[in-house]
Amino acid sequence: MIAEGLAEKGLNHLLRQSPGAAEALVRHSGQSVRLDLGVRQLDFRIAADGYFSEAAIDVPDATIRPTTRLFTRLPFFGKSALRDADYQGDPALLATLDRVFKQLAWDVEADLAQWVGDAAAHRLHDFGQTALAQLGGAWRALGRNASEYMVEEADMMARRVDVARFNAEVDELADAAARLEARLNRLGL
Amino acid sequence: MDKTTHFGYQQVAESEKAAKVADVFHSVAAKYDVMNDLMSAGLHRLWKRFTVAQAGLRPGMKVLDVAGGTADLTRLFLKEVGDTGTVVLTDINHSMLSEGRDRMLNEGKTPPTVQCDGEKLPFPDNYFDAVCVAFGLRNMTHKDQALAEMNRVLKPGGRLLVLEFSKVWKPLEPAYDLYSFKLLPFMGKLVANDPGSYQYLAESIRMHPGQEELKTMMETAGFAKVRYHNLTAGVVALHRGFKL
Repeated sequence: MIAEGLAEKGLNHLLRQSPGAAEALVRHSGQSVRLDLGVRQLDFRIAADGYFSEAAIDVPDATIRPTTRLFTRLPFFGKSALRDADYQGDPALLATLDRVFKQLAWDVEADLAQWVGDAAAHRLHDFGQTALAQLGGAWRALGRNASEYMVEEADMMARRVDVARFNAEVDELADAAARLEARLNRLGL
Repeated sequence: MDKTTHFGYQQVAESEKAAKVADVFHSVAAKYDVMNDLMSAGLHRLWKRFTVAQAGLRPGMKVLDVAGGTADLTRLFLKEVGDTGTVVLTDINHSMLSEGRDRMLNEGKTPPTVQCDGEKLPFPDNYFDAVCVAFGLRNMTHKDQALAEMNRVLKPGGRLLVLEFSKVWKPLEPAYDLYSFKLLPFMGKLVANDPGSYQYLAESIRMHPGQEELKTMMETAGFAKVRYHNLTAGVVALHRGFKL
């Protein structure tokens, strides 16, 4: 009950903050959408005003199934990762949903402003964006360093297994040299 | 002979229950909100906010608040549906409804206020987007009939929310019983000078159907996808169902 309520509220909130998004869904009013999360199915009907309304549905007009690939790519590729979900059902409705989902944008500053006022919300938002940008920059630098290490430096460092093999070969060579020396001594050379 | 029903732990004629319940609420109306805060330590406000969050309301929607009494939920619903929406406040009890109406007027709001029986709602079929009954179903004589009426006035796809006392988590039962049957009437006597009404409250909670029973009743009344969520270890449960 809580998951459905949160999804409904969250989706409608984003629709409200994204101009034209709900209007785009109006022509599909009455049609139903199922968000199939595997363990849980969230069913919605598109209301006359274009917003999502939780509903009891037997066969939905469209089903969206998020995949593992979507979840792994979402943090890095944002909305373009949405294509990795599994879509089934009415093509016209799915095309509109795809367009609308890509259009959705969360206006964090506007939501913060309701709690702390405009000025504080603006500063908090700026601070958050800067912090996120720095965090993103740090991650990217870390990634660059890691890839540089893999490509440029990794081969220059002897691996433990290679060192062990080299040591074994040196031991073998020392043994062979000792045997040869013993033979030569026996021959009196 | 008239059929009987329960009034707390007593058996009374069905025709008498409404009048007896009315007496209880006439008696407690003036102190109802204070007692709610005291009895639940303010938790009833959270339970009601949770209920509103599960209603999925948007501006312009029509909501029916059955047994709305002192209009706690009506005022929260009004915020959700905005100026373009409508919230109808109803209650069978004139004293409670007057408290609710006055409170709304004091806040500068004038929602339609109707004194009516939840078992015979004076509204057309398929009219409301959401119907809510909070702490009211327990007091109705024919709960099945009331649920059927709520189903009738809901639009297809609309949802019913029933917020009601329920069966508490088993390990907490002894403490809850002690609280309900000893402390509650004592507080009722101290604050509202009416221990009998709060004794009835404790008894009527025990006689009310549990979570699963109420879910089945809602399904029988025609609601689909009925689910419930326990609040505060089952002291209260919110049931929600959809009209197909």
